[in-house]
Amino acid sequence: MTGLAAAGMGLAALVLLLALRVPIAAAMGVVGFCGTWAVIGTPAAGLSQLKTLSFDSFASHSLSIIPLFLLMGQVATRSGISAALYQAAADWVGHRRGGLAMATVAASAGFGAICGSSLATASTVGQVALPEMRARGYDEGLSTGVLAAGGTLGILIPPSIVLVIYAILTEQNIVKMFAAAFIPGLLAALGYLIAVALIVRVRPKAAERSARLPIAARWRSLGRVWPAAAIFGLVMGGMIGDWDWGRTGTQALFTPTEGAAVGALAMLAYGVGVGGLRLRGLGDAILETASATGFIFLILLGAQMFNTFLAYTQTPQALAAWVSAQDFAPMVVLVGMLLLYLCLGCVMDSLSMILLTVPVFFPIIAELDFGMAPQDIAIWFGILVLIVVEVGLITPPVGLNLFIINRLAPDVPIRATYLGVLPFLAADMVRVALLLALPGLTLWAVHWIG
Amino acid sequence: MADLAITRSALAFAQSLARLLALFGGVVVLCMGIVTCLSVTGRALSGIGLGPITGDFELVELGCAVAVFSFLPWCQVTRAHMRVDLIGPLVPESLYRWLGWLGDLVLTAFLALLLWRLWLGFGERFPYGTAPVRELLGFGPPPFYTETTYELQLPMWIAYGISALGMALAVLVSVIMLFQSARPGARQTGAPL
Repeated sequence: MTGLAAAGMGLAALVLLLALRVPIAAAMGVVGFCGTWAVIGTPAAGLSQLKTLSFDSFASHSLSIIPLFLLMGQVATRSGISAALYQAAADWVGHRRGGLAMATVAASAGFGAICGSSLATASTVGQVALPEMRARGYDEGLSTGVLAAGGTLGILIPPSIVLVIYAILTEQNIVKMFAAAFIPGLLAALGYLIAVALIVRVRPKAAERSARLPIAARWRSLGRVWPAAAIFGLVMGGMIGDWDWGRTGTQALFTPTEGAAVGALAMLAYGVGVGGLRLRGLGDAILETASATGFIFLILLGAQMFNTFLAYTQTPQALAAWVSAQDFAPMVVLVGMLLLYLCLGCVMDSLSMILLTVPVFFPIIAELDFGMAPQDIAIWFGILVLIVVEVGLITPPVGLNLFIINRLAPDVPIRATYLGVLPFLAADMVRVALLLALPGLTLWAVHWIG
Repeated sequence: MADLAITRSALAFAQSLARLLALFGGVVVLCMGIVTCLSVTGRALSGIGLGPITGDFELVELGCAVAVFSFLPWCQVTRAHMRVDLIGPLVPESLYRWLGWLGDLVLTAFLALLLWRLWLGFGERFPYGTAPVRELLGFGPPPFYTETTYELQLPMWIAYGISALGMALAVLVSVIMLFQSARPGARQTGAPL
């Protein structure tokens, strides 16, 4: 059997297992194991490798960033930070038409700066924002749609778990990836704000105005968001900033992994000291972290086994060589991939999509000539992929954010949420087009930090 | 139907064990955080004679593996493993449930494969036990030397042992849940997270 045929059969088997509702990690692992067996003709190599593979993959310093960032986010959700963020934003813009929806976007962006997961951001901000918007008679689809869309800021604005995994997969510098996500993240928030403004202009009935607050009260409530700002500043500043005061070149205070540890402990200190976090809340935070960490690492392991099989068949190289021999316009290939992600996103979660496709797609992209340095292409491609896989979180039928929000607002029909999120999807598409056309938007911050 | 009562109480027991192990894993993650923070502080203050903790890197690495393996049983309890929802709206409820059970079966088989190999990996690093005992446990001859970490000389078999324990509990929970979810009306799909 040729390598390509084996890879084709493996891929068919994988799709079949996934369609039969086998968990993604197990499907990739089993197909990878059996596929490697089929290609080399004996299970001995795979079995012998498995004695150490799971332990060695999990005993990873760079991957330890995942449980730490997840714990930081989970502690943050239980420390009242989202309420302070939302209150401050609502006090500043609540008197505008659609102001509470705009405040939701702002609070999601703020919370995304200390939490690397979209689902946690959507549900945490949802718990405070949804009752407010419903009480003010906001349109149900607008309320749930803006929350679901705002949740995606959690993963776009650094720290971001998915970005960490992309960086590890493609051997890119995590700090540079975080820096690159910064402007696209702000653009995302801006796009959602514009979407809200347009919605309430077209349908003024969708939102009420609140009373305008005196300026002193506004500053007071803005003052209460200091923990989010301080922890974000500490983590990002320590990773990116120059702490050797320009003597021997740029010297960061800590690596991203260390930054995650610092952030998690700082958040815990705030939660216990100020945020009213008790032992029970910490236990809940740990258990949520446990579930998320467990499934992420098992998928990482399964993907590793599947990609070992693909590497044996030499498919990624063959595919990359074929694509570059076809003389396609690079932009056409890239746009085709992004469209494929949008389709996959309708049925798959973002992490599995990235782990499944990036090992195949990245070599292809690296072969194409975009007129940029290889590192720039890798970073730019990563950000674009991150955005389109995040769109999957808010596209029916399997938009996970939509379900999370739907569970918070059981009285809103899911159809209203589907419709409500459409304007934000449009904002996402505009942003992807903008970032495609102007790579400098993504790369400016990367070059700025050197 | 008596066996169902047995699986139910067995599941409850295994679930509370899984919860305890997950909390232990969380404490390990916190310790990783503390070690790292102390190390960063020490390095930043190297000007006044402090320094990073010896072996911080390998402590975090081992901690990460131990924590993740401790999390796996709880992950099983909460059915946190992601699935693709391609056919959900197209097939009748009973078939959908049954497929979910089939998926659980494949997942259990995958975890069992991982446990089997990890257990042998543990055996290759575990230096103790007489020949008959080792054979009973499925281990080969003891290793010629005890594999340790680089800086602190921590024996690797300890971390492997805790990891195998977590994996074993994950398989146990998974098997019991297979019996449980064979029951009609049992909850089949936990939403992710």
